[in-house]
Amino acid sequence: MSTNNLIELHQVTKRFPVGDGEFTALSDINLSFSKGEFAGLIGPSGSGKTTLLNLIGALDDSTEGEIKINGKNIANNSDEASALLRNEHIGFIFQSYNLLPVYTIYENVEFPLILQKIPKEDRKIMVLQALEWVGLKDIANKKPSQISGGQAQRVAIARSIVKKPEIILADEPTANLDSENAYKIMDILKNLNEELGITFLFSSHDSKVIKYLKRVISLEDGKIINDEVK
Amino acid sequence: MIQDLLLNFKLAYKNIISAGLRTWLTITTLAFAFLLILFFNSLYTGWEYQGVKDQIDWEFADGQIIYKEFDKNDPFTIESGHHQMIKNENIAPVLIRQGNLYPQGRMLPIAIKGIPANQSIVKLPTHLFHESKEEFPVIIGEAMATNNHLKKGDKILLRWKDKNGTFDAKQITIVGIFHTNVPTIDMGQIWMDIDLLWKMTGLEKEASYHIVKGNYNHELKSQWRFESQQDLLKDFISMVEMKKGSSAFLYIILMFIALIAIFDSQVFSVFKRQKEIGTYIALGFTKKRVTLLLTIEGAMYAILATIIGSLISIPLISWLGVEGVTLSSKEQSQQMGITIGEKLYPMLTSKLLFSSIFWIILLSTIVSYLPVRKIAKMNTVDALKGKK
Ligand SMILES: Nc1ncnc2c1ncn2[C@@H]1O[C@H](COP(=O)(O)OP(=O)(O)OP(=O)(O)O)[C@@H](O)[C@H]1O
Ligand SMILES: [Mg+2]
Repeated sequence: MSTNNLIELHQVTKRFPVGDGEFTALSDINLSFSKGEFAGLIGPSGSGKTTLLNLIGALDDSTEGEIKINGKNIANNSDEASALLRNEHIGFIFQSYNLLPVYTIYENVEFPLILQKIPKEDRKIMVLQALEWVGLKDIANKKPSQISGGQAQRVAIARSIVKKPEIILADEPTANLDSENAYKIMDILKNLNEELGITFLFSSHDSKVIKYLKRVISLEDGKIINDEVK
Repeated sequence: MIQDLLLNFKLAYKNIISAGLRTWLTITTLAFAFLLILFFNSLYTGWEYQGVKDQIDWEFADGQIIYKEFDKNDPFTIESGHHQMIKNENIAPVLIRQGNLYPQGRMLPIAIKGIPANQSIVKLPTHLFHESKEEFPVIIGEAMATNNHLKKGDKILLRWKDKNGTFDAKQITIVGIFHTNVPTIDMGQIWMDIDLLWKMTGLEKEASYHIVKGNYNHELKSQWRFESQQDLLKDFISMVEMKKGSSAFLYIILMFIALIAIFDSQVFSVFKRQKEIGTYIALGFTKKRVTLLLTIEGAMYAILATIIGSLISIPLISWLGVEGVTLSSKEQSQQMGITIGEKLYPMLTSKLLFSSIFWIILLSTIVSYLPVRKIAKMNTVDALKGKK
């Protein structure tokens, strides 16, 4: 196995307890991503896309197998180590934005930096730069409840890129957006990928998303049925 | 670590403040409970302080040497409750006899108390005995005077028994009315020069008890027992402490309501804010830290309530400490022989302040923690999706 892979999955299986038995959501997944990829998981509903992203993002634990980020197996990470990994190396973009409701746009974007104990002045530069990337500098003082869905998703993008993570996991980022906003978002993400070299991993049904992907991995019933680089 | 904690406090503050009216209702209730705690306890502390001081100044001095057959709570022990006095320049003898006054044709059973005219151990204005030209000068307290419509200069018939049990009677003259908060040296009694009382009764150099100034460290004969200031004040202090306890009822109920409100909002948080909790975790919080954050949120109610409560109650109670508070039960207390002033002056001690703050914050923190413990068992992925 190559060691300069950013993400490596080795025989990963995820089973959920269901009633008395178990449901296998992912079985024997082998995958690797190198730095700078712009890849996506596609497949029908229930095929395991979200589950796979959650495992890579250390939001959930695999039942079997190894998941390596930067060569380090995260399977047996402590709560603290997982939290640190998410804070420093992984950015998330969710379908429903998940902004913190009581903070302003600025504070939402600033939040990951505060956790990293970055000094205030540096934070300001970084936050404004991130907001600049997504074109939202002028609404920095609004609250999430005062902005549109498309804007909210751009704020979420700013929040995920502000700390310059190596990986951004985006679970159906355009599902709640109209096509104009969806394209806008994908343009932004593509730019970030190209200019900052951030690795993107999507999950999507959306053809507008799929059009942008440079690598498409198809899942069905928890198995990889196709993995193609465009 | 400190930085993390500070951040948690900031976030917690933001979160509860943005919750609006409900937050302020809870904080107000808690702050009000806090204010009542401080007010009532300060009031009783002030009373206790004043009462102790008054009783020392007027009655107990630095202790009393009491004839063992005499019990101040039992009038039947007065008759034979006396003995040859102890001679010492730092103690003053007091002899108590029973008698009847006949003001305006009524009969008023009273205690006649004799005390040396030249004593300066207690505040009783006994110097008036010598300054007066009257044959039988007595002084009485203000409550005794008011209750029985007596005034300075009144001449009243007094009947008493001498040591042989023979009745005798003389006109006494009220030469002074003193003001005291201590009803046990005021109500139902008259004070006269002990020399005079000795002569009237033939109980030369006899005393029921002595008032002590300073440290009395001479050996006592077995007929006498020494009661220290503390012994003498014990009943009063425990009575005030009991009153303190009974006033707790009001603020305990308020505290209870506030704690339930906090508990309730914490249950609500864990239930309704799952998506937010999941987001914190996705952004790099551990579950422990989210639990801590939400616990601090709950504790924040108490922190804000004690800050606001302090800002109101410290100046308020300090002001009342100067102005005084009139208690409606004052008359009743006096009739029961309890020392109480016209006004009570609340005394807010730092011990009371800080221990109340400590307890309120501790209780709120515990109540806040109980519902949010659940976060540890929460599934992050489910939480992120929000409430299903
Ligand atoms: N916590 C869970 N308990 C039981 N089953 C689960 C759980 N989470 C997911 N599953 C199941 O695992 C399978 C994969 O779910 P997943 O959410 O990964 O699908 P998906 O590909 O993201 O679907 P969609 O396109 O609808 O988002 C589904 O059949 C789902 O019902
Ligand atoms: Mg999904």
